[in-house]
This record gives sequence, structure tokens and C-alpha cells, in this order.
Amino acid sequence: MALFYSPPVLTPTNHPSIHPAKNRRPLPPVQSLSSSNNSIPDTSPSSKTPPLAKTLALSAAAACAIVHSSFGGGGGGLGIGGGGNGGGGGGGFWSRFFHTQPAMAKEEETNEWDPHGLPANIVVQLSKLSGFKKYKISDIVFFDQWRRTNIGTDDSFFEMVSLRPGGIYTKAHLLKELETLASCGMFEKVDLQGKTKPDGTVGVTIGFTESTWQSADSFRCINVGLIPQSKVIEMDPDMTDKEKMEYFRSQEKDYRRRIDKARPCLLPMIVHREILQMLSDNGKVSARLLQKIRDRVQKWYHDEGYACANVVNFGNLNTKEVVCEVVEGDITELVVQFQDKLGNVCEGNTQLPVVRRELPNQLRQGSIFNIEAGKSALRNINSLALFSNIEVNPRPDEKNEGGIIVEIKLKELEQKNAEVSTEWSIVPGCNGRPTLASIQPGGTVTIEHRNLKGLNRSLVGSITTSNFIDPQDDLAFKFEYAHPYLDGVYDPRNRTFRASCFNSRKLSPVFTGGPGVDEVPPIWVDRAGVKANISENFTRQSKFTYGLVMEKITTRDESSHIAQNGQRQLPSGGIIADGPPTTLSGTGIDHMVFAQANITRDNTKFVNGTMVGQRNVFQLDQGLGIGSKFPIFNRHQLTLTRFIQLKEVEEGAGKPPPPVLVLHGHYGGCVGDLPSYDAFTLGGPYSVRGYNMGELGACRNLVELAAELRIPVKNTHVYAFAEHGNDLGSSKDVKGNPTEFYRRMGHGTSYGAGVKLGLVRAEYAVDHNSGTGAVFLRFGERF
Amino acid sequence: MASPLIREWAGIQQFPEATQTKLVNILGKLKQENVSSLTILVMGKGGVGKSSTVNSLIGERVVAVSSFQSEGPRPVMVSRSRAGFTLNVIDTPGLIEGGYVNDQALDIIKRFLLNKTIDVLLYVDRMDAYRVDNLDMQVIKAITDSFGKAIWRRSLVVLTHGQVSPPDGLSYDDFLSRRSDTLLKVVRSGARFKKHELKKKLLKLIEEDEKRCIEENRVVEPTEESGSEDDISNSEGDHVDLSCSEEDSEIPVALAENSGRCQTNEDDEKVLPNGTAWIPHLVEMITEVVLNGSKSILVDKNLIEGPNPNEKNKFLIPLILAVQYFFVMKPIQQSIRGDISKEDKPLWELRDMGSGARRF
Repeated sequence: MALFYSPPVLTPTNHPSIHPAKNRRPLPPVQSLSSSNNSIPDTSPSSKTPPLAKTLALSAAAACAIVHSSFGGGGGGLGIGGGGNGGGGGGGFWSRFFHTQPAMAKEEETNEWDPHGLPANIVVQLSKLSGFKKYKISDIVFFDQWRRTNIGTDDSFFEMVSLRPGGIYTKAHLLKELETLASCGMFEKVDLQGKTKPDGTVGVTIGFTESTWQSADSFRCINVGLIPQSKVIEMDPDMTDKEKMEYFRSQEKDYRRRIDKARPCLLPMIVHREILQMLSDNGKVSARLLQKIRDRVQKWYHDEGYACANVVNFGNLNTKEVVCEVVEGDITELVVQFQDKLGNVCEGNTQLPVVRRELPNQLRQGSIFNIEAGKSALRNINSLALFSNIEVNPRPDEKNEGGIIVEIKLKELEQKNAEVSTEWSIVPGCNGRPTLASIQPGGTVTIEHRNLKGLNRSLVGSITTSNFIDPQDDLAFKFEYAHPYLDGVYDPRNRTFRASCFNSRKLSPVFTGGPGVDEVPPIWVDRAGVKANISENFTRQSKFTYGLVMEKITTRDESSHIAQNGQRQLPSGGIIADGPPTTLSGTGIDHMVFAQANITRDNTKFVNGTMVGQRNVFQLDQGLGIGSKFPIFNRHQLTLTRFIQLKEVEEGAGKPPPPVLVLHGHYGGCVGDLPSYDAFTLGGPYSVRGYNMGELGACRNLVELAAELRIPVKNTHVYAFAEHGNDLGSSKDVKGNPTEFYRRMGHGTSYGAGVKLGLVRAEYAVDHNSGTGAVFLRFGERF
Repeated sequence: MASPLIREWAGIQQFPEATQTKLVNILGKLKQENVSSLTILVMGKGGVGKSSTVNSLIGERVVAVSSFQSEGPRPVMVSRSRAGFTLNVIDTPGLIEGGYVNDQALDIIKRFLLNKTIDVLLYVDRMDAYRVDNLDMQVIKAITDSFGKAIWRRSLVVLTHGQVSPPDGLSYDDFLSRRSDTLLKVVRSGARFKKHELKKKLLKLIEEDEKRCIEENRVVEPTEESGSEDDISNSEGDHVDLSCSEEDSEIPVALAENSGRCQTNEDDEKVLPNGTAWIPHLVEMITEVVLNGSKSILVDKNLIEGPNPNEKNKFLIPLILAVQYFFVMKPIQQSIRGDISKEDKPLWELRDMGSGARRF
């Protein structure tokens, strides 16, 4: 079995290098497995994951094939026949269940078959059949000689016969079949008769007497993995009775010791009780009952993800206790190996502890292999983003019977990577018509050096411009250095240090007009600076980040001149810059150093594709008095979002998601120096829907409340929402009162409804201030 | 502060004898109250006669009057002293430009007034404007926003062009009382209400007023003489001193007529159609305002810029930070820990930890 994961292809240089077909059959199976296929479809644990089904089944059979053994000796293992030799040598008792010979049958199907050449409707003993003829078997009947009835085709015994109606077999085949049936331990007595049919075919009747043992009232399940098989001393047929007794006693003693040595199984009490019930219901322990018990035990294991677990034997029969021997799939070794592009094993650049810390304990040596642990390892390693191909591959351990070696094969991504993506943008020229000069080549250049020192440290730089010819006009850059495992790669604490240097340009929503105000000349806020922070992940989603930001903020008007004040348009058409100051210093350029902290608690999870849970985010910017006008401030935001599941639903793929009520509250406030670019703005798709960005105001304190009800419909959901945003009268506490200056309300309510179409939300929102509604199309989620 | 040279108040000589006597009496009264200087701020829309009023008051042509355009963007302070008493009059440019309050002009005025004390604000408007509108409201609001509500306790509404002949069917006094009433309402609301309420309230007021006017006119017109006489007698009580009788803010109204064609009485004083000599009357009312017990307004930085919101509660930041750390961050951290412990671990994970052996 193998688990594959191919990370999404991020760069053109990173070609997916997996050939699933190649890898699906990961191991050369053990000898005895080579011709076998699986005939226990319902025990395959992975019916949910079709691609894995085959490989899983294979390994299940493999594990079973490794430790073949017969009904354990001592306690009166009757009907053992010669099947006592364990190991992969074949002839094992239970392997019969899986042992069919489709290959053989197929081969001969094409050949002509010979008519039996005998009068119709006579019973022919097997020995009377001709050794040279190829008989076509038209039907197979199982005849229970004890109850003197035929058994139905749905009986588990049919699984054991490799003969198929319609197949063509020689006498040798039939003899061999009889021999295997006789030696499998299920039957006390078995014979095979042919019945000639008028059309020249032969009907086969298998008459049998089922093996039964004395009834039992207790059940025990033991893990016999890694325990060496007890050597079976061949019983000398010339032994005296006393010697025989002695022999049986020693076998019994051996078996006791074996049971005591074995570890307890994972099998839970519930299944245990179920099996006890089965035992007490049936009275005598019959072969069929054992088969059922085996199926039940294996089903539990496979359902729980113990893909390598298998029932290998029942022992201690004819006593009060049935002992079920299970090989659970103990991991004897965990191997991490790197592969080069051609799939050859090579020395990797990544340091092993980096990979090892991502592996769950359940994959370590001594644990029992669970496919979920394997998947979890796969996910975790993939999240490192260091490998192009990851395989987690359990393999039977040849040296330790019943052991599993977990192999993790990794293909590393290129350490250095550079990428250029280009785009053409057409900018309207002076007459609004694009000209040759207005078609600008733009794009992004990214350089990346990852996995420095094999410790997943990385250095990434990217430069984006909309115009390569005049890059100085609009050049965005970001360089980031990430240093994970700050406390050492062996420390379970996962703190990452990041330092970055960046710039950005954004349109300020503070300088936006309210409803009915003519176009307000835009103000651009350019930020350039350095940022250093440490983030600690508590869980996959919850984290704590703290650091320092040092930045220079420049505010510019439409024509890229530094703007010191907000502008407005006069009725005459002129523009006058007498609005609120854009910066703290009043010069249009601010320098600032502040500390930043963000703590996110997120325990949301997906229930049938819908988010349920809660998310709390607290963000704090603390001015340190360093910078223009020595800014000291405490700017804080608290966001609380609850996704409340309104109905209990059954979880599982394809099941409908539950209706969800989303409650959202956001408080923001600032004490101290508050430049306009840091003021909170109200209105917009992530604030109060139905309004434009900043249409409701810019303020010092704000509260936003929102509720949304999501009702699943078919594959998507529809929702209704109501939102309110309020400046709490704090707009006047922003210097220059931009809310008032641009004639905005300072508060607003909206409500509406919408439908989610894939990634897009289409919604109709009513702006309660003006009472008008509009349809919006938005990408992504509001919450 | 570069205060201009204080000159002798020569202009007082220009006034008629009777006026001079009255003024000297008033000044004497002020002196008795230990008031030795008086700063008068004149504000109003453009073209209402602010500068002319200043000139009339001083008795000199101290500020240039331009009838058809704004007299320049800068405020001017005129200082005159007489017998140890100093009179400062600050003339300001009109506050309205292009249908909006000229914030820049206001800004300049504010900066000009920095560190000066305003004893009286003369809010000047024309008497012969028939209604108040949004613009008046904006101007008043701008003044309130700039100097605070308290300034209206030291203010006086001056209606220029006092010699207007009232429209048909209205007596002079009646017209005056109506005009001042509507204007005062605006002023009062501008001085009393917060910004948001103000707008609505005022619009309502104006509407009501217009409605009433229409209604009244309808009633009045057919009965011409008698009706209007009734009106006068009805409103007489109100308009006696032309001050409002309502509520707390008593803003007096005075009249002015700066025109050279102003009627004069037997003492050669300029008089209004109702017979009052307006200059002494104005000065007298100014004195009344000065002596009405309220404080004069010192224009300091705080007043101009408002309390700096950036400084508010700044000293609390360490405390806030501590509260945030202990009462926000810590609980969130706690709940994350709770999440981790409550997390639904898959059974296979628990089983391996030994705790779950045979139980799941």
C-alpha cells in the first residue's frame, strides 16, 4: 500500500513526478502472494477511498500471507492435517480462504473442453474420471453430510473453493482442490463427486462434514505479531499412546506460553462482547463460526484503519476458550529516504529531524501501523512544502515476521527557484483610447531559496510592477526570510521567526465620500518598511504572533504628489486640499516603529463541508513613541465569530451539511495618536455589506455586528444576513473628522440575502441608510 | 502677537453730539465695572455689511469696503483707545464661498484670533433677507465648532440694512420681529445641538417657518390694516428688546444701517425707521452683553483645534495594555489550551497512548 500526495504545482519548474500506476503496486509481494488475489471484498477497509482499495487489499493479504500458521496445536487442534508449518511457505490454513486460481482458469477458458463421454445423470467418483480429459464444470453444489442438505451459494464455504461453475478443469485440478479442502482444517471429512450432465458437462458435488469443536464461553484475542512461530515437532506415527500424551501436553504447554507472551490486542470490549454473544448463540464452535469471528475481527481492524492487521489463526480449540491470534502490523522500523528525480535513493538536503518531527508517534517503531497515521504523516510532511512527491509506504519486514517497515520516500523540490510571470496591461491613454504606449508590460519576478541548511529556512523575494519600462512608477517588492524551529528542531515548540522588508500601495478608504458626495479625490497610502516577528503555532489554526514593525508611510494624491491633507472637489470643479491631515506629522510622510501582536484562536472544523466552531482574533498595535511626532498609541481589535451548527447531522462524504448561524462581532479602538491611515473604516464587503469601502465613515472606535443564517440547498447554500456598523460617536476623535468632512453617516445597517456559487457569492444587500438595494458579486467568504 | 498700534479714538468726534454723550456714558459705565478694554469679533456671511458696520462703529473708514466682492481673505483688527479705554474691533472676511463654508477662511480667522480674548461676537446678517437657509446654519455651525457653544452667550445678532422697507402687509416692527425670530432660532439651534441633530432640526424649523409664513400671509392679506395691527400688538411683547424670550440662550438682536442715506433725527443721529438711534443702541447692547455675567472667550490652541483627540487618555495606555494582556490575551490563550485538550483525537491516536486500550 502506498499513500501518495502530490502538492499542487506551484511553479512551472515543479513538474508533478508521480506515476500513480507505477506506485500503486508498491512491493514485490511475498512469494505466496504472487498469484493470489483477494476474495474478501467486504473486509477491505477502504471502500471509501477507491484508489487505495487495491493496494490496501494487497497488503492485507500480504500480511496475512507472511504469518501462515495452522490451527494451533496443543489444545486439541483437530483436523489440522499437515498445515502446521508457518511462514510464507504456503499450505497455511487460512490462506485457503484467499486462495483461488483465477489465472489458471482463465488460461484454459479459451481452450476447447471435452465432453465427459459418459451416460447422463450418473454419479461418478472423482477417481473414475479420466486424467486426460478437460472437464467443464457446469455447477458446484456443497452438500452437508451432517445435516444432509445442500448449502446456499452465499455460504462462506464457497469462498474456499477455487472451482468456478463454467470453468474447465482436469482431474488433477480437481484432486488438488479436494486435497486443499481436506487439509484446510475446516472439514472433518470431504469428498468430491461428479455428476454427468446430458450436455457433456459435469456437475460437482462436494460432500463434507464440517469440523466442530466443543462449545466455548470465553474469547481472547492476542497479538502474535513479532512472536516467532513455535516450531512444530513432527509427530512420529509410531509413537506410543504415552508418548502421544506427552507430545500433546508439551504442545499445550508451549501454546500456553505463547499466549502469555503475546501482547493484548487493540480489539475493544464492544467487539469482544459481540463475539462472545456469537459464541453463546451457536453452541458448538464450528468452522463457519470461526470464519464469522474472523470476518468480524478483521472488519473492525480495517474499519479503524489498521490496514495491516489480520487474523492468522485460531488456537486453543476444544477448550472453553477460543483464542484468536492476530497479527496487528507492528512497526519494526521507520525509514525515511530521499529520492532523486529518477526515483533513485539519494542523500537528501533536508535534515531528518525536520521530517521526523512531522510524523505522528503512531508511525514510530513499536506502534501498530494505522493508515490514518500514515495519512496524517503525509499531510504534515506536505505542509512543509519541501517535497514534490511524498510516499508513505508500509512494507512487510522480512526479518521480523508480522512486522511492518514504514518507508517514507521523499522527492525534494529544487532548493533554488526563480520565476517570472508577465502580463500586459492596457491603460487608457489621454483620450481614453488605448495607444501603443499605453500597453504596458508588467509582471512579477520571484526568487526563492528554500530549505537553507536543510532546516526549512527560506529566503523569498518578489518584485511586482505593472510597467517594466518605468518600474519606478509602481514597484512593489517583498523580501522575506523565514526561520522555523526557533527553539531547535528537537523542541516540540513550533516557533518561527520571520523578517521581511516590504512595500505596498493602497487606496485609503478614509478619504471616501459618503452617499451623494461627488467623487472624492483619492489618497494613496504607500508603506515601506521592515517587519520582524515570531509566530508560534499552537494548533493547526490557532497561533500567536508578535513582533516589531518599522515603516515609512507616505500619502499621495492621484498624481503621486505627496498629499498632506485630504482633498475635496469644489462645486466649481477645482480641487482644494483642506481636508483632514493624512499623516500624524502633517507633512505627508510619517515614520513609525511599533510593536504588533496577534493572537488567533480558531477551532473551526468542517462538518460535511460547512464550517462550524468559533474563531477569536485579538490584534494589537502598540506605538512605542519612536517616529514622527513620537507616536504613542494602543490600537486594538477584537473579532469574535461563532459558527453555530443548528442541527445535528451525520458526518460523512456526500451527506448534507447542517444549517449554520454565523454570529460576528468586531470591536476596534485606538487610544493615543491616530493618523488617518490607521483609522478604522466602516463599510465594505468585510465590514458592513451593501456599502462601499469606507462609505460609512472613518473612526477611532467602532463596533460591527453581523448575523448570517446559512441554509444548505443542494450542493451549495443560501444565506440571509443583517449587519450593523457604528462609530460610537468616535469619528470626531479622528483628527480633521474625515467622516464629517466627506459627509458620511458614521453608522449604517444593511440586510440582504444571497447564494454561494462555488467561490463566488451573489448577494442582494439593502443599504438601510438610503433604503436602496443592489446586487453584489463577491469572491471568498465574508467571515 | 503683533498687535497693531493702538491709536486714539478720533472717530468718536465724528459722531453727533448726542451720540458722543451716550457713548461716553456707556464707556464710563464699563469703566465702573472695571472693564478697560473690549474686543469685538465681527463675523457673518459675505456681503452682509460686516466691514461697513465696523466703520460705522468706529466712526472712521478703517477697513476697506468692497460692495461686490469679498474684501480680502484676511481678518483685520482695529484698535482705538479713548480715556484709558481700548476698543478692539476685528473684522473678518465672509465665511461663505461657493455655497459652502470656506474652511480655509475660517482657519485663517482662527489662527488670527489665537491668544486673543473675545468679549463680544457680532453675528452680522442682513435684515432684508427674507428667510434663513442651509447656509446660515452652516455658518453658525462653523462658528460654534470653532469657538464652542459658549461664544453665543457673548454674542449679539446685528441686522444690517435696518432701513429696509418691509414687504407688503407687514409693519416694520412686525417684519423685524419675524426676521430676528427665524434667525435666532437658527442661531439657537446651532448653538445648542450637536451636529447630526442640528441638520434635521434646522431643516424642520425652516420648513415650519415657511409654512407658517404662508399660512399667515393667507390670513393676513384680506384684512390688511387691522390684521397687521393685531400682529404688532401680539408680537410687541416679544420684540421689545428684540431679544428672545425663550430658554437659556438670550441672544439679543441689534439693528444697523450703514448707508449714507440713513435717516437722522433732530440730534443728527442716524436713526432707524422705528426711531432708535442705532449706534448708541448697538454699543449699549454690546455693553449689556459684556456685563451679562458670562465669561469672555479666550481663543487658545485648544479651542481652535478642539481638544486634541490624540492626546486623550494617552496616559492610560500602560493600564490598557495591562488589561489587554491579562483580560484578553490570557483568556484567549487559555481557551486555545482548552481547545487542544478537548480536541477530538481520532481513536487510533488515543489507543496508542495506552489510555484507550480495549476501551474504544
